[in-house]
Amino acid sequence: MRTHSFKTKILRAFVVFSALLIATICLTVGLYYRHQDLERYGDLAYSYAETAAAYIDGDKVSGYVASLQKDEYYEQVMDFLNSTLTHTDILYYYVFVPYEDDLVYVWDADEAEGACPLGYREDYMEGGKEASVNAMAGLTAGEFHVTHDPTYGYIGSAYYPIRNAAGEAVALVGVDLSMPDINSGLAYFVAVIVVCVVAAVVIFISILYSIFRQSLIVPINRLNAAAKKMVGNLENEDDMDIEIHTRDEIEELAKAFRQMYGEVKAYIHRLTHITAEKERIEAELDVAKHIQAAMLPCIFPAFPERSEFDIYATMTPAKEVGGDFYDFFLVDDNRLAVVMADVSGKGVPAALFMMISQTLIKSAAQTGLSPKAVLEKVNNQLCVNNEAEMFVTVWLGILEISTGKMACANAGHEYPAVKRRDSGFELFKDKHGFVLAGMRGSRYKEYELQLARGEAIFVYTDGVTEATNAHEELYGTKRALAALNKREKVSCEELLQSVHGDVNQFVGEAPQFDDITMLCLEYRGCGREEP
Amino acid sequence: MTINMQKDGTTLTIALDGRLDTSTAPQLETALKENLAGVDALVLDMKGLDYLSSAGLRVILGAQKQMGRLGGLVIRNVNKLIMEVFEITGFSDILTIEQE
Repeated sequence: MRTHSFKTKILRAFVVFSALLIATICLTVGLYYRHQDLERYGDLAYSYAETAAAYIDGDKVSGYVASLQKDEYYEQVMDFLNSTLTHTDILYYYVFVPYEDDLVYVWDADEAEGACPLGYREDYMEGGKEASVNAMAGLTAGEFHVTHDPTYGYIGSAYYPIRNAAGEAVALVGVDLSMPDINSGLAYFVAVIVVCVVAAVVIFISILYSIFRQSLIVPINRLNAAAKKMVGNLENEDDMDIEIHTRDEIEELAKAFRQMYGEVKAYIHRLTHITAEKERIEAELDVAKHIQAAMLPCIFPAFPERSEFDIYATMTPAKEVGGDFYDFFLVDDNRLAVVMADVSGKGVPAALFMMISQTLIKSAAQTGLSPKAVLEKVNNQLCVNNEAEMFVTVWLGILEISTGKMACANAGHEYPAVKRRDSGFELFKDKHGFVLAGMRGSRYKEYELQLARGEAIFVYTDGVTEATNAHEELYGTKRALAALNKREKVSCEELLQSVHGDVNQFVGEAPQFDDITMLCLEYRGCGREEP
Repeated sequence: MTINMQKDGTTLTIALDGRLDTSTAPQLETALKENLAGVDALVLDMKGLDYLSSAGLRVILGAQKQMGRLGGLVIRNVNKLIMEVFEITGFSDILTIEQE
């Protein structure tokens, strides 16, 4: 789009406005003056005609027309007409008798060039007949007939009747004035007017424009320049200087603009800062996520030298760092500890709490305590200074490898699923204690599971059972058990992959809300395989 | 989740509707923080609650601690699914749960 500067637009408007103003004033004044002028000259000519008519004896006129003889009176009248002619602007000063088809001159002031002699017959000028008839009838007063005549040129004429003693009109006195002379006077006058008006308008408009310029164009251009500069200058440290002191809305606009500029810059500055900070935090969170993941045993097979059991575990974190964790480790040569836990909430607080919990559980279990004792000890440790009121649900089992006996305790965690030789996986509704870190001094119950060769235990977090599909349906323990029992005689790793695949298929496109964590331990027994 | 609060003297009844999970638990936490002053009996009505996550349990545990152990907090109208959550986590042992 082509743009025009504010200044050009204003200037253009002013020029057009001035031209219109000048044209209007000159035309109005000129037309008015011409009208006045014609009226004035008409009156003048008429009064000359009237004077002559009053001077001339009407009874003598017809005699001159008939005889064409001049006498003393005739010359006297002629002298009068000549005298008047030479002392005034009259072009032609004459007396004539109008007839039907033409007119006859009686007197014609012969000082004028081309004057007509007594008895000279002549055709009427254009419109002359009607004017004469009207004048004879005494119908006109001061009418001024303007004609372009081939013989006499551009003239204005007035007529006045000469009456005899009986009061009848016998002839007309004609007075012709030169229209070019009248018009040149008018032209002069119009020229003067035009010059004056143009001068006045130019001065007036110039003053107006300079006021406009000072109070509008210059400040707006400065504001515009400042705005353009601002767009390209936001990253710059320079301050914007827009000093406008017009003491009106533009000054307020400039002030508002200055303030806005400052705020935008401050905002951008802040945003840059925040973005950098955010990136830093995200990078740190990423590292934290990796550290957290590295806390969990993740090298499989975990105990390649132990043929008595098979163990496999996975954790699939949701978007945020979460609080799920699993753990397994040998307490001594004959005892394997297995932990499955879920910290309340998500994010960094949950991740930190998870690390503390995992460390405390591991160190307590490694001193050889029973599951019940481990949970009670860790609970009390976690309750100290637990300002954030976080808690963690824990299932802990310690397997005696030589016998397949597993001592277990549950602090508010999901029920484990236990696979029996003859019935497949079933939910084992164990005795529940309260969550860890919930209440100081909580007591936990311990129970024992006897695992035979080929039997297994599956523990998980609520990320499995509460995985939700697009229809807001929960995956649930029923579907989990079905998935566990779908395939037989597979390794723990294959089993977990199969369950995970089933969960994914159920969830479909719906987002994963929670960490999905599972662990499976299969007891294979000591010594010889039974047939 | 929507929270409807009704105060009757020193008894505050909060009706929960929807899902109480990681994203909505802070709402309840804030509501409790702002309204527990001068309350000696708190009732959580879970009639409209469909889902309760561990983050929600944390807020409930906080409320339970703040209200003391003298029956200051009462949970009402718990559906089957949420009752299961209370039982699994052992919360059913420490909470006063009244079923109609």
